[in-house]
Amino acid sequence: MVLKSLSDLKGIVSGKPRKKLVLAAAHDQHSLGAVIQAWHDDIVEPILIGDARAIQNICMEYGYNIDGLQVIHEPVTEMSVERAVRMLNGKQADVLMKGKVGTTILLKCVLNREWGLRTGNLLSHIALFEVETYHKLIAVTDVAMNIAPNLKDKIAIVNNSVSFLLKLGYVMPKVAVLGAVEMVNENMEATLDAALLSKMNQRDQIKNCIIDGPLAFDNAISYESAKHKGIRSEVAGDTDLLLMPDIEVGNVLYKSLVFFARAKVASIILGAQVPIVLTSRSDSEQAKYDSILLSAAASN
Amino acid sequence: MIRSLDQMVAKVLSGGRKYRIAVAWAHDDNTILAIRKAVEEGIAEALLTGRKKEILKNCQAWGIKPENFTIIESDDEVSASADAVKLAKTGDADIVMKGLAGTSHFLKAVMDKEKGLMLPGAVLSYVGALQLPAYNKLLFITDPAVIPFPGLEQKIAMAEYAIEMTSRFGIEKPKIALIGASEKPSRHFESSAHYEAMKKMAAAGQISTCIMDGPLDIFLACDRKSVEIKGVKTPVDGDADILLFPSLESSNPFYKGLMLFAGGELGGLIRGTEKPVVLMSRSESEKSKFYCIALACFMA
Repeated sequence: MVLKSLSDLKGIVSGKPRKKLVLAAAHDQHSLGAVIQAWHDDIVEPILIGDARAIQNICMEYGYNIDGLQVIHEPVTEMSVERAVRMLNGKQADVLMKGKVGTTILLKCVLNREWGLRTGNLLSHIALFEVETYHKLIAVTDVAMNIAPNLKDKIAIVNNSVSFLLKLGYVMPKVAVLGAVEMVNENMEATLDAALLSKMNQRDQIKNCIIDGPLAFDNAISYESAKHKGIRSEVAGDTDLLLMPDIEVGNVLYKSLVFFARAKVASIILGAQVPIVLTSRSDSEQAKYDSILLSAAASN
Repeated sequence: MIRSLDQMVAKVLSGGRKYRIAVAWAHDDNTILAIRKAVEEGIAEALLTGRKKEILKNCQAWGIKPENFTIIESDDEVSASADAVKLAKTGDADIVMKGLAGTSHFLKAVMDKEKGLMLPGAVLSYVGALQLPAYNKLLFITDPAVIPFPGLEQKIAMAEYAIEMTSRFGIEKPKIALIGASEKPSRHFESSAHYEAMKKMAAAGQISTCIMDGPLDIFLACDRKSVEIKGVKTPVDGDADILLFPSLESSNPFYKGLMLFAGGELGGLIRGTEKPVVLMSRSESEKSKFYCIALACFMA
């Protein structure tokens, strides 16, 4: 199965028990709005941890109805994150979401050796884009978490992403390793890594997917472009997952698709015991909602 | 101020001048079709280098009257590239364009110390004018095609080339966004240090008149609303004319992504040469190819 639009995620979630989402430092209008909407739509069962009074005030001001929702009062930001993480560590909930707290504090708690959510895997970010002119969703990693991943990191990022796609119902997702060019160029490390990843995939060192690279963006996305260049590839033109060489490239691509191509996007952090929703203030309400939906679909 | 590629084309057409374009190894239909359009529009005279027999066969296949073209017999792509460059060098052509010759052969001829077209001491780079439905003017980008990892000196040259081009488009004080993954300098990326030096140099008048800021992400460079939401103070103010990218790895997927997903069209040109040099990828649209040729005429 492949997903054609973000709303297809609803099909994965519906009919199953609702996942519990813990919003840490929940006194945050930006995330509260999306969480409450997702609750009303039966997508998640939220637990709000944060400054209860501030939460009340926000709900009054914006007309959010939270009758029947579990709210745990913990006004100290760090403590509210710790309680959220401990709750997930104890398997009392399924998804962690960041509220009004810096990413650094949140990740510090997630990575706590005693009560955190470590699995031994690298944490990585994945974004699913819905673009009008592509025939299915396209997953992009990593545009937000790993700055300049080396080969070992890239393997971990691919593994994280592939097992995530399998959870969503994909079978043998097609992974394109992005380069500026489709030829291996000894001066461009990204193209060397791409070649190695492809070979490791062929030798079954990286499983459950088909990897090809380096592919330039047009070859990865457009079958026509690949044909023009005479590239023989199972992945070209039919990519499910695009692996970025580094955060600079990923961030540019992410933002240009959202701004210029009006792409819809949902994103989460992978590699911890549970999916983590880590949206930023500048994300749209829709993007936050879709990210929550994605986290519910990815958690099991 | 010229705000679209079609306005630029109109300007070239109204000039009423015919530019002589030497095409290196004009053996593919792609090239022939692009150049035919320029000839039919009345802005170009074509001088094709390559095997006469094959070029004639190609013309016949597409129903093109070969008397529209001057054909110069060359045996292979290396000598065809050298012949095309020579025509420009001796003043028999105004513009050089790559046909089916390999990019490296073609650029070698362009960069040849004695017979080539490089301006003394110049950096070879590329500036593209990107036309996007979601942007209210042209967005000039550099360098999406030639320099993999530009150093400081190359970045300065890239900025100068872009400023020069925007001034031809009637922009007096272009806003240049130096692109990064965020607005914060990063110790992981050399470009951050380059950007600080460039801003100082621009302020000191060592770089031609412009408004320069960076690092900025794509949102902060191109979207005023994001600038407001994030509260970042930047003179570029979400209204960039020029995006200067830290690497080919980031610029290449940027423009290809926007061509495929955001309805973008690109006119682009090699810079650093005595005469305009047109280099375009085979997979670019028919329209973009024509824009590249028109841009060369415009800048000639």
